[in-house]
Amino acid sequence: MILPTFYHRAFYDLRQDLCAQLITTMVVSLSILIFAFFTLLYFNLQHFVERFGTELGLTIFLTEDTPKDRILSLYQELTELPGVEKVTYISSKEAFGRLENFLKDEKEVLEGVDPEFLPPSFEIQINRAVFQLERIKQLAGEIDKWPEVSKVQFGQEWIDRLYVFSSLARIIVAIAGLLLLFTAAFVVTNTIKLTVYARQEELEIMRLVGATNIFIQGPFLVEAFLQGLLGSSLALGAVFACYRFLQGLEAKSELLRGVNICFIPWHYTVVIIASSVLLCVLGSALAMRRFLRL
Amino acid sequence: MISLESSIIRFKDVSKKYSQDNIVFSGIDLEIEKGEFVFLTGPSGIGKSTMLRILFCAERPTSGEIWVDGVALSSLSNSQVPYLRRKIGVIFQDFKLLSNHTVFDNVALSLEVIGLGKKQAEKRVMQVLEGVGLTGKASRYPLQLSGGEQQRVAIARAVVNRPPIILADEPTGNLDLQRTEEAMMLMEELNARGATIIFATHDERLFEDTHRRVLRLLNGKIEIQ
Repeated sequence: MILPTFYHRAFYDLRQDLCAQLITTMVVSLSILIFAFFTLLYFNLQHFVERFGTELGLTIFLTEDTPKDRILSLYQELTELPGVEKVTYISSKEAFGRLENFLKDEKEVLEGVDPEFLPPSFEIQINRAVFQLERIKQLAGEIDKWPEVSKVQFGQEWIDRLYVFSSLARIIVAIAGLLLLFTAAFVVTNTIKLTVYARQEELEIMRLVGATNIFIQGPFLVEAFLQGLLGSSLALGAVFACYRFLQGLEAKSELLRGVNICFIPWHYTVVIIASSVLLCVLGSALAMRRFLRL
Repeated sequence: MISLESSIIRFKDVSKKYSQDNIVFSGIDLEIEKGEFVFLTGPSGIGKSTMLRILFCAERPTSGEIWVDGVALSSLSNSQVPYLRRKIGVIFQDFKLLSNHTVFDNVALSLEVIGLGKKQAEKRVMQVLEGVGLTGKASRYPLQLSGGEQQRVAIARAVVNRPPIILADEPTGNLDLQRTEEAMMLMEELNARGATIIFATHDERLFEDTHRRVLRLLNGKIEIQ
């Protein structure tokens, strides 16, 4: 029976002091907005690195004297390797066709050239879930030892750069995100403290008429819960609007096409909302602690 | 002499000091009978409010024991204090009303705290407001009322849950003579209905012709007149 009383009193207080409550909610919202925006950047960066890494893949060139019947068994062996998602065989003729397409109007240069002069090859796509530079390097090393393989190509220089860049970016984003989280926690708890201090007299009077700590604290916690929920929802709503806007730009702009912008995964949005609610409720409980002593 | 059985408040060798140089009172022995109306007097800053604050557990005594309605205050844990406070109505000189709540809500707060149903609470609040002459002002805010009316709201809040003890800390300190007389009459009425009242005041005119006990706090000791 006490919960409806809490809600009733919390909503009464919200109505009575709407301006202060809205300011607190806005502070919560802005703090979470900065953090959520940063999280969006982080996930897009990670998404981009993963996609770029897997798109690079591996190209395995075979020796010219590789028997045709061995190609099928090689295909099987490659498919069974851990981390390999897709294997495509490119015959010498197909490779020649690609070269012709690449040269377009200048394909005459290939006149008189044997269509089988290019080596057959396999193109390997790496599973996104297990994409790791070390794994690609290891895989390339293993395959390179096979007698039928003349060369393994996987853009090592690009991957090395990408790896260094993504590691660095992850560290920067993690540190900045952590600092932002602490800043948000500090701002939110202190704003809530100020609202509690502003109602110090009310708390004293409630204690005076025999209110228990839970009776006094309950409505404040309900208010903090609502502020956390509303503030973080507004912040995520704003970040989602920003994401949709960028998606629209991506569709229109040649430069951005293919960037494939992604939103914060839904379970992370739940974590952000829950953390925000927890932060507000804890901030409120901590701020009230000193008023709940004798 | 008051018998132990009928005393609702009892002090035994009670002392309060904030430091070695700041002793408020010491070795106080006192008994107040159920239904009694006593004046607690003494110059300003002598410790009258401290004595009342100790009674409703806003402060603890340095030594000694106090019983309120048979309960030893030293045995009360912090979580039990609110239940003791429900037996005590407190009235202050500065009223201590919530300015952003209506008169009705200010008075109803004491009932909300004890979990009384909405309809019952509404009936009780209106009865009490009628008793203190504030019928028709339930929806006003404290700052829309005169000082005397605000004090009557504070009295209504203190008595609405029918506590057996009422502590009044200079309740007429901010009122003119006419409002003071009205407030005194209200206190007399409450006492006539059975409430034990401790009325702290430095204004000797309020009890100069009284037949009631006057407890004078002087130099850290109580003199009973």
